[in-house]
Amino acid sequence: MSSSLRATFDKEYAAIIEDILKLGSLIDQAIAQALDSLQRRDQTLAQQIIDEDEEINLLRFKIEEACLTLIATQQPAARDLRGVVASMNIVVDMERMGDHAAGIAKTVIRMGDEPLLKPLIDIPRMAQTAREMLRMSLDAFIERDAEAAKAVVPIDDEMDHLYRAIFDELVEIMSHKPEGVERATYLLWCAHNLERIGDRVTNIAERVIFMTTGDMQELNV
Amino acid sequence: MGTDANDLKFEIVELDFYYGPSKALSDISIEIREREITALIGPSGCGKSTFLRCLNRMNDTIPHTRLEGKVLLDGEDIYQSDLDPVDLRQRIGMVFQKPNPFPQTVFDNVAYGPRILGMIQHRVDLEEIVENSLIQAALWDEVKDKLNQNALGLSLGEQQRLCIARVLAVQPEVILMDEPTSALDPIDTLQIEDLMSELKNEYTIVVVTHNMQQAARVSDKTGLFWLGELVEFDETSLIFTRPNDPQTEAYVTGRVG
Repeated sequence: MSSSLRATFDKEYAAIIEDILKLGSLIDQAIAQALDSLQRRDQTLAQQIIDEDEEINLLRFKIEEACLTLIATQQPAARDLRGVVASMNIVVDMERMGDHAAGIAKTVIRMGDEPLLKPLIDIPRMAQTAREMLRMSLDAFIERDAEAAKAVVPIDDEMDHLYRAIFDELVEIMSHKPEGVERATYLLWCAHNLERIGDRVTNIAERVIFMTTGDMQELNV
Repeated sequence: MGTDANDLKFEIVELDFYYGPSKALSDISIEIREREITALIGPSGCGKSTFLRCLNRMNDTIPHTRLEGKVLLDGEDIYQSDLDPVDLRQRIGMVFQKPNPFPQTVFDNVAYGPRILGMIQHRVDLEEIVENSLIQAALWDEVKDKLNQNALGLSLGEQQRLCIARVLAVQPEVILMDEPTSALDPIDTLQIEDLMSELKNEYTIVVVTHNMQQAARVSDKTGLFWLGELVEFDETSLIFTRPNDPQTEAYVTGRVG
């Protein structure tokens, strides 16, 4: 006999966690490629990101389905139940992160061959920060570590500052250079998508705290 | 979880069963696959235990009963062939609602089947069978130092695992379980369920249970019986998340039954 009397639950939940990590890896790759496609103006890569977003969507549904079945068949309680419910919530935010990466890719396609309005400085930083935040939140999820989850909050604040700085800079350029409004807007869209990814990571952190402690709290205030 | 790739163990075709003039089962057709756990659920009197007892001809012992249709075990009709019911019940063991060890030692309980079936030549062989059966039933560690004690001194959960060991000792292919945990507390229940999950790697298990959460936790396929009919039979994950039949939906959500 296994050491746990909930061996079936443990095994099926472990498979869900594995799929969540796989989803995280796909999203991390999508964000990295989205930045790459923007930097290199690579429309082929951008189209590939959009196409591959379907894989992210399907994996999210697969995980939700597995959670639903696990609740229906194994009747988890307490921390097990919170873990499954948190998993269901987390994958919704993760799937939307994939959409944000695809949003950047769509912008790259709309930009066509027009030269960039300005060199990319803060947007690559935001992309790097988004990936780091995603990694931190998933580590906290795996480790069931509420304190580690909270550590994403100051980093999200940095993300917001970076976005604000980009926003102000681009509005400034637009006000002086009306012919650059369209190209400035494209960059603003890219930055906005990255900023939203940061917010989604904060949502994941909230779910990790709930899963670990049972407390529901809003971190993004 | 089992898949349709597993070989067919039982094929039941258009089975009707009567107690005297009263029809208890009507037109049951169902396929039971090897090395899967098949759970049968439904309200009291729905026919699920009667159906279970058709699978090893246990109903033969009840007077004025009659069966129509086919019960094929590995393709052979167990009611038409010249198969000896005693041989059949060696191949298809049964565990009952209430643990029913014999008032004998732990050892003799497990050794009972092999002895009367003449399965052993030497005491050493018998000891090996008893030990292996108790290991398989996840009971060995608890009883290895009290093999000569009376089995009735074991806890209820241990007694039920002893009954499972007794079934395993005659090397069956199928284990039928009729409400195997209804007399047990929640921890003993989980132990039996865990044991069932282990045993399905080698045996085909059919379990009747009032406890639909148990069916959900432990089985690969679930069938809902209702007034002697099989309402729905499908993958357990589907029965408990999106059943096809409104009656199944009502039963698994606790609206009826």
